[in-house]
Amino acid sequence: MTAVESVEPVPVLELSAIRAGYGTIDVLHGVHLALMPGEVYALLGPNGAGKSTTLGVACGQITPHSGSLFLCGRDVTGASADALSRAGVCLIPEGRGIFPNLSVAENLRMASFTGTPYRVVFDRAYTQFPRLGERRKQLAGTLSGGEQQMLAMARALATEPAILLIDELSMGLAPIIVEELYEHVRQTAASGLSILIVEQFAHEILGVADRAGIMLHGHILHSGPPSFIADELADAYLGADHHEPNAGASAAAPRRSE
Amino acid sequence: MSDVNDGSDDATMSSERLAQFQDEVGKLKVSGGAANPERLGGQWGIGLTIFGLLVAFISWYSAYNSADLGTNLRAQIFAIIGLAISMVGIILWIRNSMTRYLRYWIIRLVYEQREQTDRIIEALREKNE
Repeated sequence: MTAVESVEPVPVLELSAIRAGYGTIDVLHGVHLALMPGEVYALLGPNGAGKSTTLGVACGQITPHSGSLFLCGRDVTGASADALSRAGVCLIPEGRGIFPNLSVAENLRMASFTGTPYRVVFDRAYTQFPRLGERRKQLAGTLSGGEQQMLAMARALATEPAILLIDELSMGLAPIIVEELYEHVRQTAASGLSILIVEQFAHEILGVADRAGIMLHGHILHSGPPSFIADELADAYLGADHHEPNAGASAAAPRRSE
Repeated sequence: MSDVNDGSDDATMSSERLAQFQDEVGKLKVSGGAANPERLGGQWGIGLTIFGLLVAFISWYSAYNSADLGTNLRAQIFAIIGLAISMVGIILWIRNSMTRYLRYWIIRLVYEQREQTDRIIEALREKNE
């Protein structure tokens, strides 16, 4: 027996056979997903596929009807969203989730709930996003869409999360801004943060992700390296291998730039 | 626009951070909470109310058909217990129904406030243009 044995790394976040939804209606029908430490996992799929619900389960906002949520191998199913948030699971929700009637600085101050002093929060945010420093007294609601997304990211990163969940980073933004934000995601990922990112449009995110999955009708149909997913994406969106001719019709253009 | 700096020093999840995260996850108190707990609580409330009323009714029926003083006293005690169970059930149902309603109400308030803020911002933009 060798002295050194290879140890299988434990996923930092794992969803096992998750069935979840709203009220009595299931949206997720047995989702399996594992996020390894330092990995960027892109979850792609059209509107209504269950991507945001998956993030809701991962951050504790939605309690699954069945199945388990694991963090670093520990079953934490049923843990409250605030407990998970304090532990280091951070969600940037769709629509940015900033407080539009508070200033940039006040929004950042809200990130000090984890115990990080607000001066440290400011330093981090303004160093990473100098434009936010220039607009610190401006109402967050009056920022441009890209700046609002930067504020949401800055607020999330300032809390030093261990797992970052991002919902539709590119929503409503110009491609050049999206490219810039993804550049920041790339830099953040390079520092070792585990990121689960949900997107409708594949072009930018597949260049950043280590692995990707395609979600349709509450199932993850395919999971694998981005090159493999890029090949499968059009078929999956158009329903070629799911026998759903209308599946994802609203998002039949997987590449934003096309 | 060059708003993105190399923030790797600031946002590093080192192995130390991972170890800290594992430690914090280990300390998490997991209650195994159920989906939609208020609904479950409300159902328990209704169930207890019905059960308590049944106990009270059976006790009354038992006392009605008996002339024995001891039996009547015991039936009276059971009837009181049944009524108490019903009261607990009603309180549980009211508590959970109120929670559900207030949750909906606060979400509605937040939503309306956001809408209002958006309208004010839009109006300010139009005025500045």
